Amino acid sequence: MEYFSLKRSSALDQGQTNLSSKVYVRSTKSGKVQKIVRELYLRRDIPCSSSLCRACLEIAPTDYSKKVAPFVLSDTPAGSKNFPNGQYLVPDTNAFLTGMDLFEVETAFHDVVVLQTVLEEVKNQSLPLYHRLIALTKNEGKRFYVFFNEFRQETYVIRNAGETINDRNDRAVRKAVLWYNHHLSEAVAARSKKQQRIPSVVMITDDRDNLQKAKSDGIPALSLSEFVSGLENADELLDMISAAQERREVRSSKAEVFYPEYFTMSKMMTGVKAGTLHQGIFNVSPYNYLEGSIHVPAFDKSLLILGRENSNRAVSGDVVVVEVLPKDQWKAPSTKIIEEETLNKNDNPEVEDGEDVISERERRALQEEVKRVHGQSAEGRPQPTARVVGIIKRNWRQYVGHIDRDSVRSTSKSSRQQQMVFLVPMDKRIPKIRIRTRQAGELLGQRVLATIDSWERDSRYPVGHFVRSLGELESKGAETEALLLEWDVQYRPFPKIVLDCLPPEGHEWKVPASLDDPGWRGRKDLRDLLVCSIDPPGCVDIDDALHARKLPNGNFEVGVHIADVSHFVKPNNAMDKEASQRGTTVYLVDKRIDMLPMLLGTDLCSLKPYVERYAFTVLWEITTNADIVSVDFTKSVIRSREAFSYEQAQIRIDDESQQDGLTNGMRTLMMLSKKLRQKRYDAGALNLASPEVKVQTESETSDPVDVQTKRLLDTNSLVEEFMLLANISVAGKNYEAFPQTALLRRHGAPPKTNFEELGNQLKVKKGLEIRTDSSKALADSLDTCVDHKEPFFNTLVRIMATRCMMSAEYFCAGSQAYPEFRHYGLASEIYTHFTSPIRRYADLEAHRQLAAAIDYEPLDPSLHSKAKLEGICKNINMRHRNAQMAGRASIEYYVGQALKGKDIKEEGFIMKIFSNGFVVFVPRFGVESLIRLRDLATPEPEAEFDAENYVLKVKGDINRSVELFEKVTVRITDEIEESTGKRKVKLTLV
Amino acid sequence: MPPSQAALVSLSPAELSYLRSTLLQVPPIRLDHTKGPKDFRSMRAEYDVLPGANGSARIALEDGLEALVGVKAEVEKSQWRPTPAGRASRLSVAAGDVEMKDGDEEDDGQGKGQVSWVEMSVEIPGFRDDDALPVFLASMLTESLLSSGELKDRLYINSRFHWKLYIDILLLSPALSYPLALLSMTTHLALLTSRLPALKSEKDEDPLFDDDWDASVPLYPKEKGKGTGSKPVDRPPVIVLAMAIGQNIIFDPCKEELAVADAVLAIACSSSKTSSTGSRIISIRTIDPPSHLTPPGVPNSMNSATGGVAPASSADALTQRELLATSGVWTPPRGGMKRGLIGQVVKMVVETGGVAEEVIDALQAIEVG
Repeated sequence: MEYFSLKRSSALDQGQTNLSSKVYVRSTKSGKVQKIVRELYLRRDIPCSSSLCRACLEIAPTDYSKKVAPFVLSDTPAGSKNFPNGQYLVPDTNAFLTGMDLFEVETAFHDVVVLQTVLEEVKNQSLPLYHRLIALTKNEGKRFYVFFNEFRQETYVIRNAGETINDRNDRAVRKAVLWYNHHLSEAVAARSKKQQRIPSVVMITDDRDNLQKAKSDGIPALSLSEFVSGLENADELLDMISAAQERREVRSSKAEVFYPEYFTMSKMMTGVKAGTLHQGIFNVSPYNYLEGSIHVPAFDKSLLILGRENSNRAVSGDVVVVEVLPKDQWKAPSTKIIEEETLNKNDNPEVEDGEDVISERERRALQEEVKRVHGQSAEGRPQPTARVVGIIKRNWRQYVGHIDRDSVRSTSKSSRQQQMVFLVPMDKRIPKIRIRTRQAGELLGQRVLATIDSWERDSRYPVGHFVRSLGELESKGAETEALLLEWDVQYRPFPKIVLDCLPPEGHEWKVPASLDDPGWRGRKDLRDLLVCSIDPPGCVDIDDALHARKLPNGNFEVGVHIADVSHFVKPNNAMDKEASQRGTTVYLVDKRIDMLPMLLGTDLCSLKPYVERYAFTVLWEITTNADIVSVDFTKSVIRSREAFSYEQAQIRIDDESQQDGLTNGMRTLMMLSKKLRQKRYDAGALNLASPEVKVQTESETSDPVDVQTKRLLDTNSLVEEFMLLANISVAGKNYEAFPQTALLRRHGAPPKTNFEELGNQLKVKKGLEIRTDSSKALADSLDTCVDHKEPFFNTLVRIMATRCMMSAEYFCAGSQAYPEFRHYGLASEIYTHFTSPIRRYADLEAHRQLAAAIDYEPLDPSLHSKAKLEGICKNINMRHRNAQMAGRASIEYYVGQALKGKDIKEEGFIMKIFSNGFVVFVPRFGVESLIRLRDLATPEPEAEFDAENYVLKVKGDINRSVELFEKVTVRITDEIEESTGKRKVKLTLV
Repeated sequence: MPPSQAALVSLSPAELSYLRSTLLQVPPIRLDHTKGPKDFRSMRAEYDVLPGANGSARIALEDGLEALVGVKAEVEKSQWRPTPAGRASRLSVAAGDVEMKDGDEEDDGQGKGQVSWVEMSVEIPGFRDDDALPVFLASMLTESLLSSGELKDRLYINSRFHWKLYIDILLLSPALSYPLALLSMTTHLALLTSRLPALKSEKDEDPLFDDDWDASVPLYPKEKGKGTGSKPVDRPPVIVLAMAIGQNIIFDPCKEELAVADAVLAIACSSSKTSSTGSRIISIRTIDPPSHLTPPGVPNSMNSATGGVAPASSADALTQRELLATSGVWTPPRGGMKRGLIGQVVKMVVETGGVAEEVIDALQAIEVG
């Protein structure tokens, strides 16, 4: 009988064949479990990519233009003590996991071979690290080369029977290193007989077993710390190794644990599916670091997570799974300010034994809480609390902070002794981070960037490592960089690949003179219109310009001209990608971080006066009653006659002697804008307030000189009104053209519960009522919130009402039902952003969609894809929020600097009241600050807190009561906040 | 139920008669004269032929018959079943369906398996899937697999999930002879080498599995080391075919031998639970041999052409044939099997070192070797 086998590759002919396979089990989301067999085709033409090797250059695969990808590794790599002939590094997975910050250092770690085995393992273990590693391999200067060892026949290893995957992968790494060493010596020998200098290929691993085996096989290998110790600035570099790894080894002997263990992933998933556990993002209250909350889809209101044990090592921002606690453990949210620094001042980072998760002081604070809750009426009724049982995803990032002086044992700069210190993050919601450093003395008084590596059950605080120092505390550079990092603002200069997308003419670029030029195709020539722009003083990126003129039929033609950014930024090129990443321009007090390169933002796109510029124009015909007759959208060319500041424009309008066309046009606009505004308010638009101040800086040093509240002129609302109108018109048009993919902006109606607190406060304190059934009702009731003795009271209520609102968000039309499109604050059915494409990516997308809607150009496929747009929306929503936060933080910093050393008395209002302190808002500087009881006198005075009437009666020597909305006089000084190292305004009651 | 037309052989009555008489010899002389009555046709077997399946096997017999079996397992949500408290109601509903062992409910799935968790399909070239032969073969194979209850219990993951096993049996060659034994052996080998991903989750959680295939567990657990001799490892059952001719018993008959059989038995057996040797019967089925359908030879006495007298009626013919039964003229055998003979067959199968043990061990040896 003829015998043949159905098997493709039997064990016998392994080795000769270039075919292998990989078997694993894949579990799909839908619960399917599949056995997957992947065939591997082993090849011999994967180059080593060393510039020393000629053989590989000949066999390496070529691309479509018959070119071999340039070889990455240097022919004269840097050497070290152990390897004087130069070395190529081959780190294993753990080396990357623990030392990614090291590998990113510019001065060391060149010529690195990243094995495919390692790359895949890194990807499985940590996606963020994987992306950083990929970014490194793209960085030409670092010379990182990804070697596909699993596909090269000589370096492929078959898993032995009974071998764990880890062991197999370690063996694959060793085999690749061995092969590289052989290969290089052959290559060098082939090059010249005389050459002696053969670079060593060195494996970097912290796995003791792996090192051992490498040694016995004669493979050069070093541990990461051994290698780093041989480098120049070893101390700093050694601090950058993640602490997670070494701890694991040290820890094994200790058994004491402080936190409950997490549930297994499958248990959590089952629970979440069954509805017994809940998944959400963990948030920590900025007022009380022991109080977290989590919003889960199952409930309207957030669940409270109280205490360290319940938050179980979750850090603000993590995606966690929680379990609701039994009813007898429910509590009311805290009315007390609890700050980490006051309670845990005496913690010692070095000592680990005898640590309690809850320190005695914390415990006492919690007990008081419970007492308070128990003696309470329905008002502060206990709310459901929950306990974290597991973490789905850590959202740890790099944190900016400073070293806690008290935690440093020896401050001598010369001491190179390694010690554990606490890093106190700027963000109060983040716990102290324990880091090990040899440079404690130097780092004191500096802004330091660090990351969290791990948080084991037996450690009270998370453990992290130093990344780099930003500079002196309070120095402008360090503080600015710190807040950019804190808010994840991409502030590095634009890479070359982005700048390559700019028009080659540079600043010389002009609107083509000939109307036959392709640039003129589909464009209206609006150069003869009397267009002008009105912006804040000193504005260089002019997004918008306006004009108005009377039509023969008595109506008006009004045009809003927006910079035609989409002409310069084509979809999907590098510049577009960078812009979509950045999402928005970030305005700081002394700095602007652009979304688009300067050339476009401040010149080619900017609608500068006296020059011709491309624009995207919205033209309305409007009656004298400000009713819209028709609207038209077109690409155009305009020439702005003048760029006004708000003030200049106001003066010109008010000046009766000016009767030229431009000024009259502005007067028409002013007249129409007032009518439009009234209509909007009639429809129920809200007039909300947020404290806005402006920091005046000295022009040269940009040191802050003074702080002023922003004045609003009629011209501000003139521009605003027409921009709103343009946005609404464009939103309608885009939605009509692309009902599924139009990029819109919505502002959800705030849930009633948001206003409960404020409504109650107004009722109790002022006998006023706030109605929230519709935006109109809210607007009207806000208008009635007046205190005749105190004109500012209304603004105060508006500021507080603003905080009860939802935040507006970008979304993709197909993801919501039409009624959900509503913009609550503007009382508009539909809304988008169109008018600031230079500084917002959403507007740029809206431009592209509008251009397609009016058949100017076809729509890019990326704008057809709902999934892609949703991704973009998510990103720009986040960027937008961060940009606002960064801007505020910047103002806060400068206000602090401006008030440095000053001592002023100002009026303030009480906004929020706790049982051991209250928040005062000072309108003059737009600052709000906490005054704690213990700030009033030492020792901390006794106080009686009447939560129902929002009164805090301070006893003792002070003997006065403080109530909500009360106007108080405060003394303003400045101090450095110990917990964050920020210079902040300090208020004291007078 | 008779095997359909494909098993029919085109032998003349004289040939059939000759064949029968040689097989009636003691010891019988088989068609392949080198083989004794207990000898199986030689075969080639291999397993793990389908990389994507959880288990697979292929067996080719020397006469060209060849079968391929793939076993695939999928995680499936279990239907809600009453808790032990609601057992009474379940008994009345499902009585006779599942074994009603009220044994201690441990979490190893004892008695929790369900018949529907195993699905088998048999495909034979030239047959539709609803033809009698494939359906009959599939039900015989399923029946023997499920009868002990161990396989289906092994598919239990937790109260909410279970494995669903799809056994796809494919006869690669035309059905030259009755393929039941071959299919059974191939299925046996495939199941024996099947592996399920290792479970990582606990209890009633949504199942989560180890993604390392090397960590997967065999569907039929292997004996670990030595010390476990007391509890023999369970193995899937195997069906052997035995035929009786006169007083002779012949195992694994070939197509021609079947054509003259008095009776055919399909005996499903698996390794013994109580001792490490021998085996136990799971089921016995008689199979209507194709010999019943063979055309009878016409004896000279009944043939007018050779001077005989043709019988007047069919009843007459029958009586005459009855008398001529031992004359050597081919008459299709009628009637069943004697009890003593069945007992003898069973003994030959289950005894220590008997046919069943031999087959099962031989199949096991394929995997080990």
